[in-house]
Amino acid sequence: MTLEQVFQKIRKQERMTREEGLALLQRGDLLDLAEAANEVRFRINPDPRVTFVIDTNPNYTNVCTIDCIFCAFYRHPGESGEYTHSVDDLIAKFKEAAARGVTTVLLQGGVNPALPLSYYLELVERTVREVPSIHPHFFSTSEVLGMAEVSGFSVPEVLAQLWDAGLRTLPGGGAEILSDRVKRKISSRKGTSADWLHVMREAHRIGYKSTATMMYGHLEQDEDIIDHLEVVRALQDEYHGFTAFVPWSFKPGNTPLEKIIPHYATPTRYLQILALSRLYLDNVPHIQASWFSEGKKVGQIALHFGADDFGGTLQEENVHAAANFVNTTDTEECIRMIHDAGFEAAQRNTVYEILNVYPPPAEAA
Amino acid sequence: MDITFRDKELGPVWAKVQKGERLSLEDGLILYRTPDIIGLGKMAHTVQKSRSGDGVYFVLNQKIEHTNICVLSCKFCDFAVKKGAAGAYEMTARDVLDRLTPDIKEVHITGGMPADWPWERYLDLVESVHRTLPDADVKAFTAVEIDFFHKKFRMSIEEVLRQLKAAGVRTMPGGGAEVFSERVRKQLFNQKIGAKGWLEVHRTAHRLGIPTNSTMLYGHIETIEERLQHMMKLRELQDETGGFLTFIPLAFQPGATGIKPSHRHTSAIDDLKTIAVSRLMLDNFPHIKAYWVMLTEEVAGVALNFGADDMDGTVGGEKIAHDAGAISPMSLKKDQIIRIIRAAGKIPVERDVYYNPLHLHAERVIGKIPYLNSIAFHAHLHVPGYKVLPVKPRRMGMLSEKGMIDAGLFSVMNYVEQAEQLEPIGYGLATRDQVKSVMLFSKEGWRDLDGKRIGIIDDTATSVRLLRVLLEKKYGITARFERLHGGVNDHSGLDAVLLIGDEALRHQKTGLAGFDLIYDLASEWYEWQKLPFVFAVWAAKRSLPAESKAQITRALEASLEKSNEDLAGIAGASGRRLGLTEMETVEYLTGFNYRLGEREWEAITRFAGMVRELEQPEGQVPERNDLPGSRM
Repeated sequence: MTLEQVFQKIRKQERMTREEGLALLQRGDLLDLAEAANEVRFRINPDPRVTFVIDTNPNYTNVCTIDCIFCAFYRHPGESGEYTHSVDDLIAKFKEAAARGVTTVLLQGGVNPALPLSYYLELVERTVREVPSIHPHFFSTSEVLGMAEVSGFSVPEVLAQLWDAGLRTLPGGGAEILSDRVKRKISSRKGTSADWLHVMREAHRIGYKSTATMMYGHLEQDEDIIDHLEVVRALQDEYHGFTAFVPWSFKPGNTPLEKIIPHYATPTRYLQILALSRLYLDNVPHIQASWFSEGKKVGQIALHFGADDFGGTLQEENVHAAANFVNTTDTEECIRMIHDAGFEAAQRNTVYEILNVYPPPAEAA
Repeated sequence: MDITFRDKELGPVWAKVQKGERLSLEDGLILYRTPDIIGLGKMAHTVQKSRSGDGVYFVLNQKIEHTNICVLSCKFCDFAVKKGAAGAYEMTARDVLDRLTPDIKEVHITGGMPADWPWERYLDLVESVHRTLPDADVKAFTAVEIDFFHKKFRMSIEEVLRQLKAAGVRTMPGGGAEVFSERVRKQLFNQKIGAKGWLEVHRTAHRLGIPTNSTMLYGHIETIEERLQHMMKLRELQDETGGFLTFIPLAFQPGATGIKPSHRHTSAIDDLKTIAVSRLMLDNFPHIKAYWVMLTEEVAGVALNFGADDMDGTVGGEKIAHDAGAISPMSLKKDQIIRIIRAAGKIPVERDVYYNPLHLHAERVIGKIPYLNSIAFHAHLHVPGYKVLPVKPRRMGMLSEKGMIDAGLFSVMNYVEQAEQLEPIGYGLATRDQVKSVMLFSKEGWRDLDGKRIGIIDDTATSVRLLRVLLEKKYGITARFERLHGGVNDHSGLDAVLLIGDEALRHQKTGLAGFDLIYDLASEWYEWQKLPFVFAVWAAKRSLPAESKAQITRALEASLEKSNEDLAGIAGASGRRLGLTEMETVEYLTGFNYRLGEREWEAITRFAGMVRELEQPEGQVPERNDLPGSRM
């Protein structure tokens, strides 16, 4: 098959095979990918608009027993520098965030075996009740699995209890690369690809929405990236629970993997993968550009490579910071970056409903 | 090449580019204002590939800022201080030498302008570097500094440049151009020379055979129109002199300069647009530079698919860490540049100060001769798994000696010299009668050239030998050959100049000032030997698998066939840039024979034999009858 045939299929809105996806990733010219990704982006999201969410990304604990070699954030139980916040402390934090205009709290933590299920349920229930302007976007699949293990309930049971407490969306982290060959090497105790998909499938069945992420640029091969896109697309066909797909590159600073992978992947690679994601995931409504993990300039460029969402303003973030990778912004700058990239900016909530629209200034060059 | 534009306004501009027509200010505005970044990028990338193939150039260089003391006070500068101020420094020639390592190929010297340095101190600085590091070339002093020397030391600009050239300056950086707008100059840097002064310094440098860079500082208070006018002024001077090597858009760094109240950096979109627009506007510039120091490494890497074919170099500002025992930051940086260029899908080409390739950090490279005469081979050449690099003939031979070219159109003498490693694959570049692209521009008739000085273009490996064969064997005289350097040259003092390829073609039309006689060497050969002359031979590394050789041969045949269907279509635009009409271009191309037959091999053997006789004993030409491939 030639690349031209693949691009023609895309134009005819036909679904791409794994082999075709791999050919695009390995042989596609960067701007040919971008051109096709833009076509699909404007077919699915026709407005020249880029959305963002005002959010914060605190952590309730850094205690973790999983030992992923790509992580610089976690501490073992009893190790110096470990912390676990009380529900009261977190609620106070959320109230402060709400006062600053935050609408979404993306809350994740280590997998801390000392925390009972009741801690999580109380946290959700009190957030919904006491800070109603905040949408709780809590707990990655690894944490849900941890709750199941600690409580003895099944994953569907844990998810049902969290739903009853008021949780409606899950963040898509912890997917890393959905290839067991790679997962065994970088996060052997974090669960298999099947575990991540199981939690997501059960959540989507109940009615949860979530994002899906992908972390690349470590030990994976091109085929693993295609595998990842393939399983996300297949699960999405079942319940259409994914709101957005968010790829980002591994940041080696302060992690055990740094010795093997000293650099993070180049922006060119990021843009290729982002465009390919838009092309492959024909059933996922949004692709998120990550100004935060790739830098502001590359984040802006990414908006022309198939992404229609700029992620969150991330008022607090600790995981990348632990890897010495720090980017910060504010709402004003976020809107300006979107305008400078040539788009209308729109504030959204966690489930991609538009809250405010900011048209570009009249004389934007 | 078809591009699907989201912004339909780009279509007519692209049509002009494809026809080789020059873009206007209005075209530039359409490009700058388009929301279709990808369409714009693809246009620029297509032009980039037609110039540089898959190559991206970088140099191992060291920037030297010999002092930060400056009599000027430009508003956008964070660097300059007054003498005696805290942090003021002045380097001696010794200090400068201490910063240089033997692997450096370009020493970039520019700095503040102190009131009390004598002229000799600058000359001494250049001379010491030149003397101490013979493998490195000095790129020194911006037009602003040259103008300062001119005023302070009461010498003409020409005299300043002559003395610097004699001391060892090879090329000049492009700084100090800022933006060619009187409005902006009055507000931001009214003590600096304006457009006229800057252009005059560069014009003079080009006349003296000093190639230069050019820059544009953007992202402060200038308008889009002012940026485009700036590019157009550079384009005009380039038409006149051909002396610019590269154009470097410099993104303004707000720092603490206080020009912009909001202290904003340029957006990545503006950066990429500026790279792409300049590639399209500056149709006569060989290179466009993504200067990573200003753009960030990230944006510079992306720019390599938006029109930029030049990553500057290692810059080497990390001497302090090196002294502290760090592993060589120079080579670390080099690795990083190579990594970025490779990730962009390009060939990292390590270069010298004139952009001659020294080292390719890539595998599976096909070399193409970047002349109009071989366009039929390349216009539709696509060999899956291989990258293509345009390289001038003699330089291709040098890279091939290092094993860095897998297949290519080789200058015939390089092929003969490397016949043990190279296997011909049936094609080549041979004359039918006249060739018009190997020309001797002379002040004297053939017989009066005895003992005279002849300048030889850097590109040639075979034509220089053909000239010698003609002089010594046909006319019975000898002359002194002097190798010219890449880029513009000063031809004064020479009695004749040998040019090949597009340079010969261009000057055949316009003439070369002062050299009234023009000889076509292939015609001279034909009249004498009654044989065609073969300039180049397609060959592949013998070590290449047979299947790869077959794959390349098939691709060449397919490209030739397709090209011959529409010579005007593939070559019209390139011909126009050399001043040829479409008819002249087609006529020129049909004067070549691309398939080597018996008569061509006979010609190669005879010519190689003559060269061998002249170059004994050091020549490495094989015996007359055992040239590999001569059976074909």
